[in-house]
Amino acid sequence: METTSKDMRFTTELEKNIAKIKKHLGDSVDLVKRKIYFLGNRQVSSVLFYIDGLASVEHVEKVIDAMMYEGNEFIKRNQLMISDLETLIEQHVLMNTSFSMITEVEKALVAILSGDSMLFVDGCEKAFHIQTKGWDTRSVDEPQTEQVVRGSRDGFTENIRTNTALVRRRLRDPELRLETMSIGVRSKTDINIAYITGTVKKGLVDEVKKRLNNIKIDGILESGYIEEMIADSPFSPFTTVMSTERPDKVASALLEGRVAIFVDNTPFVLVVPTYFWQFLQASDDYYMGFMAGSFFRIIRYIAFVISLTLTSIYVMLVSFHQEMIPTPLALTIASGREIVPFPVLLEALLMEITFELMREAGLRMPKPVGQAVSIVGSLVIGQAAVQAGIVSPFMVIVVAVTGISSFAIPNYSASYSIRLIRFPLLIASGTLGLLGFSVMFSLLAIHALSIRSFGESYLAPATPFQPNDQKDTLIRFPWWAMKKRPQLADGDTIKLGDHQKPSPPDKVKKPLKLNDENQSESEKSKNDEDNNKDYEDITGLRRWKKKSGGNKGEKRKE
Amino acid sequence: MKRANLIILIIFSTLLLTACVGKREINDLALVMAVGIDKGSEDGKIKVTVQVSRPGDARGQTGAPTGQSGETTWNVEAEGESIFEAIRNLTGVASRRVFWAHNFIIVINEEVAKEGIGDIVDFFTRNPELRMRTLVALTPDKASELTSTITSLEVTPGEALSKLFRYTNISTLAPYTEITDLLAAYLSESSEPLLARVSLKERKIDGLKPEEGAKRKQVELSGAGVFENDKLVGILQADELQGIILFRDNINSGVVVVSCPKEKNNNISVELNKQKFEVKPTYKNEEVGFNAKLDASVTVVEAGCSFSISNKDDVEQLEKAVEAKLREDINKSIEKIQKEYKTDVLELGKVFQNKYPYEWRKVKKDWKNSFSAADINLTIHASVDSGSLLFQPTISGKEERKEK
Repeated sequence: METTSKDMRFTTELEKNIAKIKKHLGDSVDLVKRKIYFLGNRQVSSVLFYIDGLASVEHVEKVIDAMMYEGNEFIKRNQLMISDLETLIEQHVLMNTSFSMITEVEKALVAILSGDSMLFVDGCEKAFHIQTKGWDTRSVDEPQTEQVVRGSRDGFTENIRTNTALVRRRLRDPELRLETMSIGVRSKTDINIAYITGTVKKGLVDEVKKRLNNIKIDGILESGYIEEMIADSPFSPFTTVMSTERPDKVASALLEGRVAIFVDNTPFVLVVPTYFWQFLQASDDYYMGFMAGSFFRIIRYIAFVISLTLTSIYVMLVSFHQEMIPTPLALTIASGREIVPFPVLLEALLMEITFELMREAGLRMPKPVGQAVSIVGSLVIGQAAVQAGIVSPFMVIVVAVTGISSFAIPNYSASYSIRLIRFPLLIASGTLGLLGFSVMFSLLAIHALSIRSFGESYLAPATPFQPNDQKDTLIRFPWWAMKKRPQLADGDTIKLGDHQKPSPPDKVKKPLKLNDENQSESEKSKNDEDNNKDYEDITGLRRWKKKSGGNKGEKRKE
Repeated sequence: MKRANLIILIIFSTLLLTACVGKREINDLALVMAVGIDKGSEDGKIKVTVQVSRPGDARGQTGAPTGQSGETTWNVEAEGESIFEAIRNLTGVASRRVFWAHNFIIVINEEVAKEGIGDIVDFFTRNPELRMRTLVALTPDKASELTSTITSLEVTPGEALSKLFRYTNISTLAPYTEITDLLAAYLSESSEPLLARVSLKERKIDGLKPEEGAKRKQVELSGAGVFENDKLVGILQADELQGIILFRDNINSGVVVVSCPKEKNNNISVELNKQKFEVKPTYKNEEVGFNAKLDASVTVVEAGCSFSISNKDDVEQLEKAVEAKLREDINKSIEKIQKEYKTDVLELGKVFQNKYPYEWRKVKKDWKNSFSAADINLTIHASVDSGSLLFQPTISGKEERKEK
């Protein structure tokens, strides 16, 4: 910016101000310049700038109405004698809920470009910045990538305000803080950083802000830009920043002491720091019963192992270690491979690539043609290839199981990173057998062990082993058994009151009486007892209660 | 950065440079299912018969059609001065690499075994590709014929042969002998190898027309061969084996048929279901002796006469009869081993050595004679525990009416 300090501020002359705006924004068709004459007698001219499409018509109409008609009427009726034009307009004319006065040209430009209106009044040094943002957005919809059976159906949208509101609606915590910044020299994309001051680790927010501030880029079009620019190990196939479309996932991450990064114009919100195991955990795990939740989680762990290793192990066994296959199975495999002209490794690569092709084509195809791909693909892979003798039926099964398993991983970015690291494993085990497999697997394991995500070990809580966090790793413990927040959280680490395991009332001592009066009485006394207990027992929640002023108790009394 | 890239490039290219060392596809292998060893056509030569599975036919039509001849195996013979040479000569016939890891069974002709099996034991334990859990058996017939005998039950004859041995601990028709047992007995300074024996016998098989006299040769378990060092010295028939196997393995079952307590021409069959067998060595006056104790609980499985489990006299009489029968059987086998073959396949030397390690040094030089002279004292206790589902005798209602 080569403007001088004089140039960067507005003056009292309307024409000059208009010229300044015009100089910077040019004559774009969507830039609307609306001239308004204000105050019947004095005939002060003023100009309203806004961008057509970004500013809501309703809001702009309101401004014009106030300036041209209602404001004048009001002043006349009340015989107001205020000479200062700025104060008059500020206090008695504009009826919009939020506006501010600014003097810098730069700020005015950003305001106009982000959908607000700028009102310049002749003779006023300050310009009125009126919030008129309002454009068409997609409504809150079910998230496309992370679907659940049980759980909320609302997903993030492209509007950052809607997104933060979705999280705020889930956490009415006064300690939930949202900080804003804008990244991108040209795009000036809004970024919000969300965290709960009571649970977030010291220094984590600063680190996130530092990394975000370091980003110098012309434009941010999706949170993927940010993800790549703040990742700890840029060359790793593993994703160290989790992205999600689900507000409930973000809310739970915030409760665990993580930091969420909202980016405008994308439904994908980033969560840091991220553990690898998070990618294998679905929201359903927490909403279903703990037994079902744990079972499905274990299924997903199995799917992870299968999608990573099954093809490699098959190739390794069939081309190097035939003695390790049980005899009847060895015969079956051999019979299927009898006329296959390719070595197993090539056969596997062929099938894997065909599978990836089908997946990619299915994704890119226009929806109406999508069906054709699946029909042709399944015919080619399932039937024709086997009948033509190009691949063995066993290989088809192996690749299909591997593919299905990779889809069972709830997070898409994790599933493609696993799909990527599968190929070096496959080539190593196809060329060096068990030796190659174990060496490549060790290399991958060592790499995964070495990387960090915002100061946290990527494979935690498995390594370094954190006993308390095991309650929510391989299996999910019932809610009433998970008293503490994960190791990651700081400050308020207790999330559960004492004696939360539910149990029926003592059957022997106080049998339920059929008499209505007695029952209601006993219930009342029991409720009182419970209330007292609340205050006595819940040590961890006391701090929060004090802050919220015991609202709950008061309401109950009413 | 450039250097790091270079290193990565080198690592990956070395991976490719290996050119798949040691790689052999499973369909380039001739999976051996059974091996037969016979005497060669000339003196001093050995004939090895290898049964190779043809997966395309063994597994029916999976996927694409293959060049089918309908036979599930491919049996081929080769001769040589040694086993290894014979197998080497196989490569001239076999289009695929002969792969031993899936071998089910090694069948040795008795003529070969009489001359010594030391080289066979050595070859099959030295080769890393062979499993130590492969079964070993003897046969009086031609091993080449035996391995290729088709049963209609299993797909490959080798598999059928090995599955005959699955229930040997119940039937006691032959011992279960793997190559690791053979090796252990061969290397041991006390005990001698005992090998299972299979033979071919013509039988009427369903599907063939028996009224036309059509029969087919089938393999059956038929006792065991007794070795001294590496040479076959004698045969034990299947009915003589029960007492011998008691000493070697834990056997779960056995059937004893005795005549009824009252009606002597009818029989009662009992099944031994729990047997506790203990051998304790004694050493007195420089004489080796053994006290063997057998506790067996038996179940009545078939009664051809009036027998009630609730009748104490009947039960007592039956127990005595069973004990006597068992004693007779076991003594007969022991006698044959001790007096006729004079080789310690009962593994008594091992028992003695464990109890009297110092005395063992004295007797081990002449263990063959000490063993055959040793006094084996049998104590047998049988208890009839159960009459299976029936408590009362199965008697015709008319007879019962007469009694009343």
